Amino acid sequence: MIRRAVLVVLGLVWLYPTYLLLVNAARPAASYDPATAWAPSGDFALFANFAAALDKADLGSSLASTALYSVVSPLLGVVIGAMAGYTIVVLRLRHGFWWFLLIFGGTVFPSQMLLVPLFVGYSDAGLYDTRAGMLLVYTAVNVPLAAFVLRNFYSGVAFSIFEAARMDGASTFRIFWRVYLPISTSALAAVFILEFTFIWNDLLFGLTLTTTESVRPVMTALAGLMTDVYAGTPVPVGLAAGLMCSLPTVLLFLATQRLFARGLSLGSV
Amino acid sequence: MRRSSPILGRFRYGYVAPAALLVAGLLYAPFVWTAYLSLTRYDGLAPPEWAGLANFGKLFDDPALLTSLRNTLLWVVGTMVLPVGLGLLVAVLSYDIKGGAWYRVPFMLPYALSGAGLALVWSPILSHGGIANVLLGVDTAFLQSAPVNTLAMLLVWTWQQLGVNTLLFVVGLQSIPKEPIEAARLDGASGWRLFRHITWPLMRPLTAVVVGLALVASLKTFDIVWVLTQGGPGRNSETLAVTMYKETFVASDYGYGSAVAVMLTVVTGLASYLYLKRQVAS
Repeated sequence: MIRRAVLVVLGLVWLYPTYLLLVNAARPAASYDPATAWAPSGDFALFANFAAALDKADLGSSLASTALYSVVSPLLGVVIGAMAGYTIVVLRLRHGFWWFLLIFGGTVFPSQMLLVPLFVGYSDAGLYDTRAGMLLVYTAVNVPLAAFVLRNFYSGVAFSIFEAARMDGASTFRIFWRVYLPISTSALAAVFILEFTFIWNDLLFGLTLTTTESVRPVMTALAGLMTDVYAGTPVPVGLAAGLMCSLPTVLLFLATQRLFARGLSLGSV
Repeated sequence: MRRSSPILGRFRYGYVAPAALLVAGLLYAPFVWTAYLSLTRYDGLAPPEWAGLANFGKLFDDPALLTSLRNTLLWVVGTMVLPVGLGLLVAVLSYDIKGGAWYRVPFMLPYALSGAGLALVWSPILSHGGIANVLLGVDTAFLQSAPVNTLAMLLVWTWQQLGVNTLLFVVGLQSIPKEPIEAARLDGASGWRLFRHITWPLMRPLTAVVVGLALVASLKTFDIVWVLTQGGPGRNSETLAVTMYKETFVASDYGYGSAVAVMLTVVTGLASYLYLKRQVAS
């Protein structure tokens, strides 16, 4: 009984900020006042606030960029990582373990070690503040985990499958594309989900490598909104913006809960 | 089978090349370059000038860096106590009761918000004259003086992270074998003693993973601080990751910023190493 009581009390403490957030994101923008923020407003303006956030903060183009980054980069990343795993395990690349170590070792550096050279290098190469540049860095960051997971996955696949396909005259690439990639869909999807979430939520690379609104990823754009929350953007619009930009990861999470839990444990390796 | 067998094709290196090139070009090369820049004076415009260990010497008598280290330590310790410790508590309380999943829903909801979004929605609550001041009937400026501002942000972080830690602990608790616990129950163990001597040792491997992840993540705390206070006012809520960013991209002292990045890497590496060593030893 005590257990349930503790859980309920703690749960209520946790729900209260959630309640405040929802009530105030749904309040008409002009009627916000900290003194009455605890009480729900009679008028439901959540969608009007979403629209205002899209319009006023120009979040629309940031959302489009981020959608592009967080879909395309993980797709490229998992295929490139899977290719590396395939050649190391199935094609028995010479010194395969060292190649694997080289690629997987890329995950150990904190992003802070990459920022200055990326910033300077991108400026020199004309990649600064371009969507291509953002896709490139996000893809690179995805590759090590994808290679790690797919290498493990392909280690468990019988070599006779490969041999049989070779006897039938298929090229090694065709076998990768038509046999190995399809059988590893669940592993690919788990990595994809993890990386989608990582890129969607990225602030640091966006802050360092972009400046215009159309290239800037959405979390960076949101952070930029902060300086205006009091000096321009009404609080309900700011709250609605925060909610709206979190929706895609929530939907993905709800749609793929099982895979997501698996993804979390993959990330912990 | 022989490695050179024609069955394996001749294009083997072609498959590993894209991965190797991306990782070498965008992860390793910048890493090495930053390590080099930490030994130079560099403003991003004129070519870097060799400065030996000058940047690292400056690290040790920079009062702002000391504050930054202290805040980072606060984040690490606070993360262990609050999101991880409380997460364990909620998991232990709820994993084997009827409808336990429903009791955990309130803790999972905030996980929907991420770094910048999380900070954005809490700013009207924490700001001076904001909702928290009204509700609590106090006039404290939660984001102003240290260490109150770091503690306030830590609570926000706890609000968001508790759920996912709970989830991981629940998965671990549900997968431990039932027999030792039943046997201990029959021997009369219950409550705290049962947890301390039977359940806790059994869930040790999982705890090691959760704590390890939280340790590394808390050392690199950036998003929430950057959005809520930008490390201020002054520099009193900076973490190492925020100091690195500010020294580099606000103060344009790329050499010193790189030295802070190196230090962050060393601290993270050392902490991970010591932690892993302890886990393996025991």
